[in-house]
Amino acid sequence: MNTNSNIYTVIYTTVIVTLVAAILAIVSQSLKSRQEANEKADTISQMMTAAKFATKAELQKMGNTAVLAKYAEEIGQAFIVGPDGKKVSDLPLDKVYSPKELKKQNYNIKGAGTAEIPVFIFKNGTTVVPVYGAGLWGPVWGYIAFEPNSNTIKGAYFDHESETAGLGAKIKDDPEFQNEFVGEKADFSNANIFDIVKGGAPKEADGSSVIDNMIDAITGATMTSNGLDTAIDTWLGAYSAYFKGAVTTKTEEE
Amino acid sequence: MDAKLKETILNPIFKGNPITVLVLGICSSLAVTVTMKGALVMALSVIAVTGISSLILSLLRNTIPSRVRIIVQLVVVAMMVILVDQILKSFEATYAIDKQLSVYIGLIITNCIVMGRIEAFALGNKPWPSFLDGVANGAGYGMILIIVAFFRELLGSGTLFGVDILNWLGYVPNNLVILPPFALILLGCIVWVQRSIQKDLQEK
Repeated sequence: MNTNSNIYTVIYTTVIVTLVAAILAIVSQSLKSRQEANEKADTISQMMTAAKFATKAELQKMGNTAVLAKYAEEIGQAFIVGPDGKKVSDLPLDKVYSPKELKKQNYNIKGAGTAEIPVFIFKNGTTVVPVYGAGLWGPVWGYIAFEPNSNTIKGAYFDHESETAGLGAKIKDDPEFQNEFVGEKADFSNANIFDIVKGGAPKEADGSSVIDNMIDAITGATMTSNGLDTAIDTWLGAYSAYFKGAVTTKTEEE
Repeated sequence: MDAKLKETILNPIFKGNPITVLVLGICSSLAVTVTMKGALVMALSVIAVTGISSLILSLLRNTIPSRVRIIVQLVVVAMMVILVDQILKSFEATYAIDKQLSVYIGLIITNCIVMGRIEAFALGNKPWPSFLDGVANGAGYGMILIIVAFFRELLGSGTLFGVDILNWLGYVPNNLVILPPFALILLGCIVWVQRSIQKDLQEK
């Protein structure tokens, strides 16, 4: 047979490509539930890392089942808030938002629809909210945990899809970067809620921060730092109505 | 085992090692050698991809239209890479490593060793030797990866496979070792050692 004729070539490539597509579709479908379970446990451990229940490595060692059990034990309430900061509906306590769902809400926040974004409150009062945005090569996202009824940040954890290893990837891998957030305050009365600045945030002689909502960017990863900065401003901006409510309620109670 | 088959298996491990002699696959060997675990998973993934794609393409070799052979190779290799990635994502034990290796699993497809061996060997040989050639080249690549990762994890984190080896002795991990440039220095040292043993590789 002439394997170089045009008809043969066209039929051959069509068959090969269709075959490969079918194999990949079948494999993807059959492994989907396992992958989603892994992703869910990973998301939960990110939230719990931000809320300072354990470090990411400790949670990873515990295994998926133990992480889910610990989360079920600690989570107090989860609900969705609308743009006005009012609660829209409750979320099932075992529901978390995958990066894909965050992406959808990210479009909504930017005006494609009505943003309905999740708030997770643990039994100890720690409030965790997600952020999502664009890094240099792909999406970056993460979780910021606030002290009970306050705008003081308790902890943060960030993840990314494909930032440069050793540079942009530090938002995930460098605990020092994430620790910079601890004790900072989100300024909900300002459009610039939180700043990650190049060249260093001003500091006191003892190393403590002068400006409450400003931290250092990552050297060599300006684009990733800027992307994360925008992600945080955009998402915390969407939450600002909720947080203003939550923080004032506290003042009235006192 | 006949001598030719033996040569097929042993040559890529030392004398014709894809990294140190052919200088292929350098990028990922600098990127994924921070930990032994990562290097081991990467090595096994590459072995699976090179072995099985060589086998499949060798089986198809007489039917492939020569004008589109690179495209056909690419489709098969891409399929294997996606399969490996999907499988790694599905197991609890490998999910975290897959995330750590992030883009580099997907980038196995751009590893010149894979397409290079298919083009140079699998398309002209029977399936069994082609499979062995693919596996051996993957193993030659993986071996260097593991040697580099051994030094980088031991000196850079004081651990091996995450188990503390040096830290309890008061060793202070060297951060330079974690960075990619040190992997290049190590790789250079490995090439140096190999060339001093194997004199015929030295340029006159």
